[in-house]
Amino acid sequence: MTQVKAKNRKLTIARAMAESIAMEMREDEKVFLMGEDIGELGGVFGNTRGLYTEFGAERVKDTPISETAFIGAAVGAASDGMKPVVELMFVDFFGVCFDAIYNMMAKNTYFAGGEINVPMVLMTSTGGGYSDGGQHSQCLHATFAHLPGMKVVAPSNAYDAKGLMTAAIRDPNPVIFMFHKALQGMGWLGTEKEAIVDVPEEAYEVPLGKAAITREGADVTIVGITSGVHHGLKAARELEAQGVSAEVVDLRSLVPLDRETVIESVKKTGRLIVVDEDYHSYGMTAEIIASVSEVGVPMKAAPQRVAYPDIPIPFTPVMEQWALPSADKIVKAFAKMKETEK
Amino acid sequence: MTPSQEQEIWMYQHMVISRFFEESIEKIYMEGKTPAFNMAKGPIPGEMHLSNGQEPCAVGVCAHLNHEDIVVSTHRPHHIAIAKGVDLMKMTAEIFGKKTGLSGGRGGHMHIFDANVNFSCSGIIGESVGVAAGAALSRKMQGKPGVAIAYLGEGAANQGAFHEALNLASVWKLPVVFVIEDNAWGISVSKQASTAVKHNSDRAVAYAMPGVHIPNNDPIQIFEKAGEAIERARRGEGPTLIEIETSRLAGHFMGDAEAYRPAGEKEHLTETDPIPAFKKRLQERYQWTEEQDEALRAQARETVDAAIQFARDSEYPAPEEALEKVFV
Amino acid sequence: MSTEVIVPNDLWEEDDEAVITSWLVDDGTSVSEGDMIAELMVAKIQYELLAPASGTLSILKEIDDVVAKGDCVAKIG
Repeated sequence: MTQVKAKNRKLTIARAMAESIAMEMREDEKVFLMGEDIGELGGVFGNTRGLYTEFGAERVKDTPISETAFIGAAVGAASDGMKPVVELMFVDFFGVCFDAIYNMMAKNTYFAGGEINVPMVLMTSTGGGYSDGGQHSQCLHATFAHLPGMKVVAPSNAYDAKGLMTAAIRDPNPVIFMFHKALQGMGWLGTEKEAIVDVPEEAYEVPLGKAAITREGADVTIVGITSGVHHGLKAARELEAQGVSAEVVDLRSLVPLDRETVIESVKKTGRLIVVDEDYHSYGMTAEIIASVSEVGVPMKAAPQRVAYPDIPIPFTPVMEQWALPSADKIVKAFAKMKETEK
Repeated sequence: MTPSQEQEIWMYQHMVISRFFEESIEKIYMEGKTPAFNMAKGPIPGEMHLSNGQEPCAVGVCAHLNHEDIVVSTHRPHHIAIAKGVDLMKMTAEIFGKKTGLSGGRGGHMHIFDANVNFSCSGIIGESVGVAAGAALSRKMQGKPGVAIAYLGEGAANQGAFHEALNLASVWKLPVVFVIEDNAWGISVSKQASTAVKHNSDRAVAYAMPGVHIPNNDPIQIFEKAGEAIERARRGEGPTLIEIETSRLAGHFMGDAEAYRPAGEKEHLTETDPIPAFKKRLQERYQWTEEQDEALRAQARETVDAAIQFARDSEYPAPEEALEKVFV
Repeated sequence: MSTEVIVPNDLWEEDDEAVITSWLVDDGTSVSEGDMIAELMVAKIQYELLAPASGTLSILKEIDDVVAKGDCVAKIG
């Protein structure tokens, strides 16, 4: 008699996000939604599917195209006891509403000496690779992580998506929840099988500020977030075929940043490659490398970055695909590191 | 300010070219995207926002413009680009991501820029208005002729940038005309559900400029009202806000299932298609014959086909060219 | 005695083909009748495929495979 695996249930990241929000909305009537097309449409990226049907227009509010107004309003509502979950449809649109985010949402608690909480979640889509051009394909991890006062999380799979969203909604601080479009499970943006994973039906949290070792290894540490994790895992499999054992670290959070996990990993492997779909300069890759080198972790070779070049994202696929980080580039970066080794 | 026969035929011709173009692009866009709709696939990857039905908004305004005038458009730019005189071959090549495109493939469909005819776009809702106001400012400061036209959707009228730009244009008396293409839908959210006023043209009073409401997507009315506004701007009397109730015959973007549209709305829209209506007008006013119509359509078809062939035949850029043109 | 998991004729309106964009259960695991087990995409819309019976799932078609109405995508035994 064949052993039958216990019942399991997988979700896409889009479904996991919607499930987390629904469960929190059932528990806490203060939680409500604002955003463009998040009502009956269920969100352009599927992350509010079913919420309008269950909770109605009172708590699932489609907004006009007025980001400064409704994100500013979220700050005000959150400061007054509500728990808004708002969507900025594309992270690239932050330009029209950033003051409400970085000057108010992120700073009001500090200005109030901790006496006022701003428990809001700002979820926003990131990422390219499907020819959406320079104003609809960015990641902007560093832009948000750099500015003090807001937590920043970004899942690579559905399990983390649900857990991080739940933790984010319950956190009394403002949290930016970045979801990569190509990992959502929307099909029309491609499919990433490894993002579709088992997700428990009960509520649970994935702690903010804690990285995960997605794959253990001994010879090199590959650090990534969202799409970078998947490139890292593919690169790790290729490297394995070459007899190299790669450890893949999924940061999951940019703020707080789990530097300890990365440092411990590089202490073990002695080699570091950081991969980020955001722009190369002044970004996440630099932050990770600086964090490791400033505590003096001995490394067998110079650390490498695989990131997006410092250019506006081009439309035409030959350019865009060439510019994007990839498993191949990570493997090449490892080869380059080996060449320079003492 | 009624259009001459020549101007009417010019408008009709550009509406036809526009429509043929959008229909061709629609077909080509779907190449490689069936049965699996993966946005990244096919000769035209990415998003696609078609202007079928909105042609009057382009021709009625652009009939008054020359190459020196500035037009800033949105993520739904094709009909306006065509009416403004953007190089159609290079524009098509750009949409296909080819090296011969207006920006060598860097911009794509949402970012059509043609410096020769002072045409540009923004993919960010509402950002066209400030840019157009600035172009108008520049002409005024340099004492050079030219008006600027900002195109925007009715959804953009709820964006802060709109209000700031209108106020600024009014305070500084800039030669700019703001043209709202009201197609009643911002993706899935209706204008009624999102806009405090019934007519965005009523908002003009808040910025001390004339507000003009055109209720029926009629190219002749648009021509007349736009003409007045543009003349006003040229005379140095400042900006105008024009709101046109147009119809979006296609979905917001290709692949849009439009489940949010009430039953029967799309069918009704097809009945009010502005192109057959214009043909009827030409027949009644100018005894426009079937031969003339055939000839115009055949030429339009040729123009569109040539542009598409040019795009298909052109090469892609080298990948490393992505690093060029960031700075000059 | 196994049940075929057939793409239902009324799952979507048109006669277009669909592509499997996700399996929400692992191959070889047990499912209950009515469980959502996969997502199928037609144009840009995703449709939910439900288990027609209870038992152990054997997946026959994979993610990114194109399927038509009436196709068998899995078995439940």
